[in-house]
Amino acid sequence: MGFISDVVAWFSDPSHWAGSDGIPQRTLDHVWLALLPTMIAVVIAVPPAVVLAHRHIGRFFANALVNVGRAVPSFGVLIVAAIFFVRAGASLRFWPAVVALVALAIPPIFTNTYAGIANVSPSLVEAGLGMGFRDREIVQRLELPVAAPVILAGIEISFVQVIATVPLAAVLSSGGGLGQYIVRGFAQGRGGVAETFAGALLVALLTFVLQRLFAFGEHLLVPAGIRRLTDQTERSAV
Amino acid sequence: MRMFRNRAFGATLLVGALILAACGSSDEGSGGDVTDGPTITVTSFNFPESTFLAEIYAQALENAAYPVERNLNLGSRELIFPEIESGNVDLLPEYVGSSLQVGFGADAPTTTAEGVSALSEEFAALDMVVLDAAPGEDKNVFVVTQSFADANGVATVADLAGAGDIVLGGPPECEDRATCYAGLVSVYGLSNLAFESIQEGSARIAALESGEIDVSLLFSTQPVIVEKGFIALDETEGLIAPENIVPVVSQEVVDAYGDDLTTLLNDISAKITTDVLLDLNGRVELDAQDPDEVATAWLTENGFLD
Amino acid sequence: MNRTVLLAQAEPRPLMDWDWVWRNLDDIWAQTVEHLVLTGIAIGVGLLVSLALAAAALRWRGLYAPIASVSGLLYTIPSLAVFAFLAPFTGLGLLTAEVALVSYTVLILVRNIYTGITGVPAGVVEAADGMGYRPVRRFLQIELPLAAPVIIAGIRIASVTVIGLVTVTSLLGLGGLGFFILDGLRRSILFPTEIIIGTVLSAVLAAVVDLGLLGVERWITPWQRRRA
Repeated sequence: MGFISDVVAWFSDPSHWAGSDGIPQRTLDHVWLALLPTMIAVVIAVPPAVVLAHRHIGRFFANALVNVGRAVPSFGVLIVAAIFFVRAGASLRFWPAVVALVALAIPPIFTNTYAGIANVSPSLVEAGLGMGFRDREIVQRLELPVAAPVILAGIEISFVQVIATVPLAAVLSSGGGLGQYIVRGFAQGRGGVAETFAGALLVALLTFVLQRLFAFGEHLLVPAGIRRLTDQTERSAV
Repeated sequence: MRMFRNRAFGATLLVGALILAACGSSDEGSGGDVTDGPTITVTSFNFPESTFLAEIYAQALENAAYPVERNLNLGSRELIFPEIESGNVDLLPEYVGSSLQVGFGADAPTTTAEGVSALSEEFAALDMVVLDAAPGEDKNVFVVTQSFADANGVATVADLAGAGDIVLGGPPECEDRATCYAGLVSVYGLSNLAFESIQEGSARIAALESGEIDVSLLFSTQPVIVEKGFIALDETEGLIAPENIVPVVSQEVVDAYGDDLTTLLNDISAKITTDVLLDLNGRVELDAQDPDEVATAWLTENGFLD
Repeated sequence: MNRTVLLAQAEPRPLMDWDWVWRNLDDIWAQTVEHLVLTGIAIGVGLLVSLALAAAALRWRGLYAPIASVSGLLYTIPSLAVFAFLAPFTGLGLLTAEVALVSYTVLILVRNIYTGITGVPAGVVEAADGMGYRPVRRFLQIELPLAAPVIIAGIRIASVTVIGLVTVTSLLGLGGLGFFILDGLRRSILFPTEIIIGTVLSAVLAAVVDLGLLGVERWITPWQRRRA
């Protein structure tokens, strides 16, 4: 079939493997452009969610934030962010995308963290109090470890969404990781279908690999006992 | 139970209504129904100038009571040509040189007249008619900042060879086009030139100013070039052909409406000079006026609207 | 136009040029409606397709795993890529956009319909059987209503997702609020009003539709409220 051979030809072209526009470099760019916003979102979303859920306050606020957050279109945030970077005379290649992706990543991380902590069994907390734990210790030694699988599931959801959304950044700049192949293929009409497909395939593949790595990291991070405790119940909080 | 059934029924109705509303309102076409005949689908490329040109032709046609539908801001030529082949385009403001070279893969014409006749032959195969070319043209230009030009002593495209490792920013389709990056490398031998794909012109201007790219592809009729003090490099090897505006119209529409329609469109094209393009681009890009407003204002100033 | 006028105009504009908004109210309204129409088609068609798929999966349970995994895979493919890949075949326009949007909708809805209905307690189903309900009637009158909260939760997520994705369909030359975002970027990034209007209204639209669907859920499942 013509199409499949076009895709194979695209992948076998050595110029698609070399330099700053080659697949290895663009894959690295893609990973970094997905990883950094996810990490920033964790730093922004987890602490307030933990504090609010620990005190069992702000459930309405948490829900509202998540619903509004989900409603904000990434494409719009990307371009709005670009306005400010243009005014500051800065490059559009990286940071506007980071802003848009952080906004995308926050809601699932926030909800899962809130739900994970809020759903820790009260008897567990009471047991902690009985052992003379202080507030801080209850959070650090009981609630966080028990909620860890749910929190990590939220981070994973965000991470996967972010990986799939990175390509939008290629509409704005020469960045956007592997998305550049998609945008370029799109602009070339029928002649670019193979390149678009190759780009999409690479993104899907990258998502698959990163998801496996994430699961492996989670396996190392969460104690076996807690994994057993929460596995069947709350993994799918969102 | 009875209560519930009513609600379930109501919900079903609601979903049904949503679908109906969705289907119903999508074909609320504009335009008068005074003239009998095929609806004229007016299309434009994805940059403002193409859109206000399409608006100019569309509004003049509407004013003369032709049924018009707009499909504007669509995409690059690579995306629009398949639409022409499928018969989805009745009127498109084209650019002589780019249309020949990029649309049909033909050689660059040296004069406008030569280009128009070559283009007529090519478009005839697609059942499209090429009308008179406007005097105004809008060429691709390669621009650098004043400070880059001073620092590297660059005034022409050929001078770029001595400017070290530099980067050209252009839309994705520029990379493989003989009129763009591919041509710069092969015709001018600029092996020191790399390419960065940045789709939108406004983002390329930002990239040029932030130093991310050294050379940017822009349009010669963009007032922003003068306003920002950019230097448009002289292109001496004939890479960029004459780029007069030329409306192409489907054979079906020409057959249906005849000379009345073509005369009207030709009269309008005759008034579109390069200065007009610069002025209207300025209104859109600098004065934040909308392409349709700009088109209305120009048509009124020139007595095409009553 | 002389040079000094141009330079004066090069000053960054205020973020919100309200004059532009008032001048273009009719356009803003039209694009908002268009946005809703594009979303409505995707949800409507997606709902029908999902109901059929879920019904098939309920009838032949072995089907669910493949359906779920194909849906899950689709989620990792960027929407932009789906649009770009389809455009040369299905053209620039409605069909391309809707094929992509319906796919994303189905992916969310099938799962919710299936889990919603399999979550109906077995006792209820048996009671209905005992009362002589035939399978189709039982599905429509017992299982579907009881699964309604989960299904509507799915519709809410799908709607909000689709409203966000519709902003990207402007790249296919379609209308909707994304038109303002892309048009603003194309014309001049120094004139941000259009971009901000497109973004904010899209978010507001999603929030309003989400709230509206929450209202529908409350309205058609009155027994839920009584419990609370």
